[in-house]
Amino acid sequence: MSDLNLTDNKFIQFHQKIGFKFDGVKYYGYKGDTIASALLRNNLKLIGRSFKYHRPRGFYTCGIEEPNALVQIISEYSEPNTRATIKKIYEGMEIESQNRWPSLETDIGSINNIFSPVFPAGFYYKTFMGPHKNFWKKIYEPIIRKAAGLGKPPKEFKAVSTHLHHNVDITIVGGGLNGLIAAKSLIDTKYSVLLIDFDDQLGGILNNSNKVLSVNNQTPMDWISETVKEIENSKNIKILKNTLVTTYNYINHLIAVEDKFVGSRPLKDKVNSTLHKIRTDQVILCNGHIERFLSFQNNDLPGIMLCSSFEKYMCRYGVIPSKETVVFSNNSNSESLVFSLIKKGFKPKAYIDSRSGENIEPDLFDLIRKNDIPLYTNSQIKGAYGNKKLQKILVEDSSGGVNEIKTDFLCLSGGINPDVHLFTQSKGLLDWDEKDLTYKPAQAFQPTITLGSASGQFDFNAINKEINEKLVIFGIKPVQIKLELNTSHKFKIEKLWEVLPQKQTIWSKSFIDLQNDVTTKDIRQAISEGFDRIEHLKRYTTNSMGTDQGKISSINALGIVSDLLDKKVNEVGTTIYRPPYAPLSFAAIAGRNSYEYYDPERKSPIHNWHITNGAVFEDVGQWKRPWYFPINKDETMDEAVQRESKNVRENAGVLDGSTLGKIEIKGKDALAFMNLIYTNSFSKMKPGTSRYALMLGEDGMVKDDGIICKISDEHFIATTTTGGAATVLGCMEEYAQTEWPNLNVYMNSITEQYATFNISGPKTRNIIEKVFPEVNFSNEAFPFMTFQFHEYEDTPIRILRASFTGEMGYEIYVPSNQAVKIWEKIISFGKEFGLMPYGTETMHLLRAEKGYIIVGQDTDGSITPLDLGLDWIIGKSKKDFLGKRSLIRSDTVRKDRKQLVGILPTNKNEKLEEGQHIILDKEIKTPTPMLGHITSCYQSPTLGHNFALAVIKNGQSLIGTKAFASTPELKTIEVEIVEPIFYDKENTKLAS
Amino acid sequence: MLIIDCPYCGPRDQSEFSNGGEAHVKRPDGSADIGDREWGEYVFIRANPKGIFYERWVHSHGCRKWFNCVRDTSTDEILKIYKIDEERPKLDSFKNNVKTPSGEPNLGSGNFTVKK
Ligand SMILES: [Zn+2]
Repeated sequence: MSDLNLTDNKFIQFHQKIGFKFDGVKYYGYKGDTIASALLRNNLKLIGRSFKYHRPRGFYTCGIEEPNALVQIISEYSEPNTRATIKKIYEGMEIESQNRWPSLETDIGSINNIFSPVFPAGFYYKTFMGPHKNFWKKIYEPIIRKAAGLGKPPKEFKAVSTHLHHNVDITIVGGGLNGLIAAKSLIDTKYSVLLIDFDDQLGGILNNSNKVLSVNNQTPMDWISETVKEIENSKNIKILKNTLVTTYNYINHLIAVEDKFVGSRPLKDKVNSTLHKIRTDQVILCNGHIERFLSFQNNDLPGIMLCSSFEKYMCRYGVIPSKETVVFSNNSNSESLVFSLIKKGFKPKAYIDSRSGENIEPDLFDLIRKNDIPLYTNSQIKGAYGNKKLQKILVEDSSGGVNEIKTDFLCLSGGINPDVHLFTQSKGLLDWDEKDLTYKPAQAFQPTITLGSASGQFDFNAINKEINEKLVIFGIKPVQIKLELNTSHKFKIEKLWEVLPQKQTIWSKSFIDLQNDVTTKDIRQAISEGFDRIEHLKRYTTNSMGTDQGKISSINALGIVSDLLDKKVNEVGTTIYRPPYAPLSFAAIAGRNSYEYYDPERKSPIHNWHITNGAVFEDVGQWKRPWYFPINKDETMDEAVQRESKNVRENAGVLDGSTLGKIEIKGKDALAFMNLIYTNSFSKMKPGTSRYALMLGEDGMVKDDGIICKISDEHFIATTTTGGAATVLGCMEEYAQTEWPNLNVYMNSITEQYATFNISGPKTRNIIEKVFPEVNFSNEAFPFMTFQFHEYEDTPIRILRASFTGEMGYEIYVPSNQAVKIWEKIISFGKEFGLMPYGTETMHLLRAEKGYIIVGQDTDGSITPLDLGLDWIIGKSKKDFLGKRSLIRSDTVRKDRKQLVGILPTNKNEKLEEGQHIILDKEIKTPTPMLGHITSCYQSPTLGHNFALAVIKNGQSLIGTKAFASTPELKTIEVEIVEPIFYDKENTKLAS
Repeated sequence: MLIIDCPYCGPRDQSEFSNGGEAHVKRPDGSADIGDREWGEYVFIRANPKGIFYERWVHSHGCRKWFNCVRDTSTDEILKIYKIDEERPKLDSFKNNVKTPSGEPNLGSGNFTVKK
């Protein structure tokens, strides 16, 4: 085991062993371990295969910036692409490596590495263009998908998450040294504060390195625990641990995701993660910095790791990835690692620095000398070599000589970057710092403050000054933190992006993006091909487009590009970091909005009756509507619909029409308003009568239809289609408020207040006379298209004589809470007359026989009332209504517009289908001019054959002619174009 | 996500509102005297400027009231919200000094990096 002495490590509970499986093999770690620290404890260094070339990869970092170590957690939640460097282990955890087959050690895909010369930048764009366009879909894509697949998603969507909203004055992102100081200074102020840290331990760099010896004369650990206690005891500051801020939106809107099961197996039916949605007046970013790597030959071998990550494994997890490592750096950030290694008694095998001796920190120089560590100044690593793990490196020294060093581990530092992802997400501007060789926050776009290394302030001695200057706006007492350091307080770096190899072979590579397998050669090639804009280059090479967004490498790419183009880095610019900062699960985003909570189900007041009576349901918008009522389990839908339809025509049927939208319109100017909203004129209508009406868009196209009941000039009730109810109400409200605010009119949805039962069929009168004996249903007392208010056992009801089936019919409107009672009465009283319930499919069939349209099925937003042959519905004498002027636009008066017609197969045994095109020629040639298509099609039990409605060009003048319907098999069926009405053309039944 | 200060309810999240496009587009009455062009422009043509934009919003998951808003589309800054019957504020009444996220001018299009 690669354990350090764990008794002085307060983060790892070394007495609590935890068993877990990696690729089927059982290992042990301790409570507090990440997958990475536990595997390193077991001397396991190969963790996965790379994305494109399937090259062996190890742990490169110790945090969220990790490009390589993505693993699959096998559980019922099945988490793919989990970063092994941050995910904590729990007892019984099962982990699998990804992107390898059949196993991690022997991976067939790694043959890509041998063939890598054929995988250059833009390879996919260039190669998979031919020879035939179908090749991409049928051959290339499936193969590439199979080969490139990273993790496997869970089969079922199971994880449970909730969303939590916060409204606070100040949000501090990052609970490291600066975050803790800032939070402490805000204790017991008037501000409400959120302190958010991704880790389960606050303290950041104090926990992860030996840079700081003491804070205010206390050990860093003592200072942290005392400070955290003070913050926790404050009334105005709330700490969120294990919470990653992924997104920084406009108006200081942050999104953060909290893992509720860190280091334990997620419990079933418990909230796994919380998505915090935070609104805040001020954001303080203290989210620190990220170390960069360097490019040289085979810089991806397992056994190569960033310096600060190596030190974090030692300090934070009490594990040493190697007891004999070589260190390579171009900056002062490696000093702390060398100090830690020597302190623990594992002095580095060699220290290599691209800087000259006098530019290396004097303390570091002395330390190396005093401990007899081989020192290479002015030197560079030319390449790393080994089979599946690092075995040796080649070092070019100051004299130009090349030295071979045998080693199984190499620590690397190419500089540090402020973690600017959130700052740039907030639209803040960056500026290139020539001295520290990194982009730093320059100008905030929102109320954002950056502190410490997150602001590019890398000097420990300047912490007090920066905090006091930047937090003065809160009127806090100046802070005075006294720091003692083990290393130099300042950051120093000399430029080095890439070491060119000794000898270029086609198999060895210098990587610039480890996750997406982009090499520095790809960058060169892209530039030589003209992709010299950084955003183009990024997409062409896929550099920094992985899930890590190139956290340890994207700045290096900018450096290399700026050298190649001989431009300043600031001129090259930077690509935009987009949210989320790190991947978050769809489960967290979805929260409670899943399954039955995703979209509400709306049910009729008599829904339970439908269930009891075996209805099969259909979704209409959010509504559940009975589709048909099979009489037994053997009856098919076709059989049921034929039976129901026949019964309505011969006896009577009743439909639950409660889902139709109902809007009540009231006010002194209700009549004027209705005249403006609908095409019809309601002025001459008598109270107590009703009318079928159309509503148009301003473009003149049919938007909705319904029946308008006029109670008085100041009171109307309109019905709408089931799906159009909300739109129609919204439209009425919009016009009432914005165009005609002078009209005194109010409107309200009463859809759910009333159930609607449509009874129709020749025996309707017999039935309702029995149900409502006090009402006179004679033709004279209750004519077609009139309505009356009555009481039924103290329940106020409205009865409307109207029909959507072509038979004589009545619609009964009853308060929802009385609906079941009256529905059951109708059913039981109707039995002797053969009354049966029918569903939406039968309703559609019957209305189509009668040539009644369904808005949205027979119309599609490009059909005017004239196209439907509904000229009679337009109040031509009215000065204005929605869309009126559009009805005389040159386009709407065109003669060859698509118009509604009826279609009958010439051979009555032929079956037509909705969606079939109507064409003129029997033979289908290419191209075949299309006249239009079939919008509704049914088998009529009354006619005994198929019939259809269609919209076809110039349809009204084609009535009486022959045409053809084309089938998907490229056959044609001869059809007759007829009037769009197939039943009771004289309307004798409606008024019977 | 924007915070929109509904003149009737107060500041609320954008998710409670629906955008209604350009404001102060006068609807000609539907009479035949209106020319095809004038009517066509009312029905089909809306401005989509970069910079200061007069637009309509409706508090659809709240009071369901329509109101007007002046927003700088290049910074998303809401400069003024006023009721539907209030007068349109003058364009020069806005001193809009907020820099756009990319630092480019508030008016005009394009991106410095690409243009160069
Ligand atoms: Zn409101």
